[in-house]
Amino acid sequence: MIESFAHLEQSAAGRDLADVFLETDEQEHGIPAAQILAALRKRREVMRDCIERGKNGGQSMGKLVGNEAKLLDEAFRSGRTFLDPLTIKAEIYALSVMGENSRMGVIVAAPTAGAGGVVPGMLLALEEERHVDPEKTVRALVVAGGVGSIIALSANISGAAGGCQNEVGVAAAMGAAAVAYMMGGSPSDSIQAAALALKNTLGLVCDPVGGLVEVPCVKRNALFAVHGLTAAQLALAGVKSVIPMDEVVEAMVRIGRALPRGLKETAEGGLATTATGCAIGSRLKDEANQRRAERAAERERMAQERKAGTAP
Amino acid sequence: MAVRHDRKVSILDVMGPVMVGPSSSHTAGTARLGRVARELLDEDPLAVHFYLHPPLAATYRGHGSDFALVGGSIGLNVDDPRIPEAIRIAEQMGVEIEFSEEDLGDVHPNTVRIEIEGKKREAEIIGSSIGGGVIEVFQLNGFQTRFKGDSPTLLLFYRDRPGMISEVTKTIAEEGINIASLYCSRKQRGKDAFMQIDVDSPISAEGLRRICATPDVAEAKYLDRIP
Repeated sequence: MIESFAHLEQSAAGRDLADVFLETDEQEHGIPAAQILAALRKRREVMRDCIERGKNGGQSMGKLVGNEAKLLDEAFRSGRTFLDPLTIKAEIYALSVMGENSRMGVIVAAPTAGAGGVVPGMLLALEEERHVDPEKTVRALVVAGGVGSIIALSANISGAAGGCQNEVGVAAAMGAAAVAYMMGGSPSDSIQAAALALKNTLGLVCDPVGGLVEVPCVKRNALFAVHGLTAAQLALAGVKSVIPMDEVVEAMVRIGRALPRGLKETAEGGLATTATGCAIGSRLKDEANQRRAERAAERERMAQERKAGTAP
Repeated sequence: MAVRHDRKVSILDVMGPVMVGPSSSHTAGTARLGRVARELLDEDPLAVHFYLHPPLAATYRGHGSDFALVGGSIGLNVDDPRIPEAIRIAEQMGVEIEFSEEDLGDVHPNTVRIEIEGKKREAEIIGSSIGGGVIEVFQLNGFQTRFKGDSPTLLLFYRDRPGMISEVTKTIAEEGINIASLYCSRKQRGKDAFMQIDVDSPISAEGLRRICATPDVAEAKYLDRIP
């Protein structure tokens, strides 16, 4: 079992990082490598489908978001963007996934649903723009998952436990390691990429407006997909994190504990309690109460009908 | 930092699950907790009551946890596109659904107690959705436990007595099955006891029958990996 990133760096030196993770998983969980790869091939397809649907936009459950991917996609296709295509596609794809997520569409949690746009945004944009073999993307998903599984040994991967650093931060680290792998980096480059990405998300709070995975989550996924790409770029150029990855994870856990409860997914602080956030929160509560009342009335009506139907 | 061996998750758990949005801890994890209750009951429910720990009670509606918990409790998988319709489906099935808030103590924020009732049986679990769809059930029909639903598991309810563990594990060994972990607890010495055995491969119907036939076993329940 690989217990730390230091341990990973030792055992993966000179080897293919995906192979190391596949071997470990087979030993630990009894899932054969072929089965993991087959499942991830399907998940890559789910990601692709999700991106295609998501580009069309549509209103989210809380009606706060929905058309971000569509807007950026239209701007890109009509030549009204100024960033390079890789960056823009990473953003469009991350926004697409998160749009689908906010409409209760089928997505791949990577590692969570609320941070589920980052990894597909980075990897599928890179695959397309740099003509990477899709099978390499599948193996990069192994790398992303493997990095996440080491983080999970000491950290709870949820906003409720440690804020958004534990979700989007972890996703950016997983994606950065995977991108370094896709671009031909060494295992050590991948670990450095993860450390650089995670280090620069520390302290990120989870303060969703109205408690929904909509604001700021949807756009944040796009911005941190780009963040992850940048971290991978630095690592591939030989830039190193002074603080080793294991210690960055440790810092994340400590910061997560120190964060007040109001900034850990409860919607009782940060953006959720701004004037606009509060106004949206109370509108959502009113609407939920109304829906509950309607459901109760519907139940009552159905009960009446049943009674009338069974009466002699 | 201490490594938690009980926190080991596979690549497929991290890069997944494939699920209906919007939140892995509030939708996928909660759906799986509902599913554990449903599997434990082992029949269609007539009534399900969800007691939400205060932080979950504050956030569950916006994340569709109500749909997910209900969806799981009527047997839907986390990637079933019918989850957004789960409450309506449950009502059509005639299942009585109730949500309340309850302080469940010093536990993970996303913790829920589920009471589920069918025609023949009833069951109760307390469990947390700890992120990424991963769950930890720590109380099951009143017994302390540590159930994650990530491997085939045998749950035994029996009368506490010497030799029980060795008899049961002997049968499992004779079936050629490796035990990954074993956890026992009891309500009172010599009285109601509980054993959770996580195994590496499925137990056959014949194996299960043999285990059930062990003297003083009141009930044996075999759960597959919770999808």
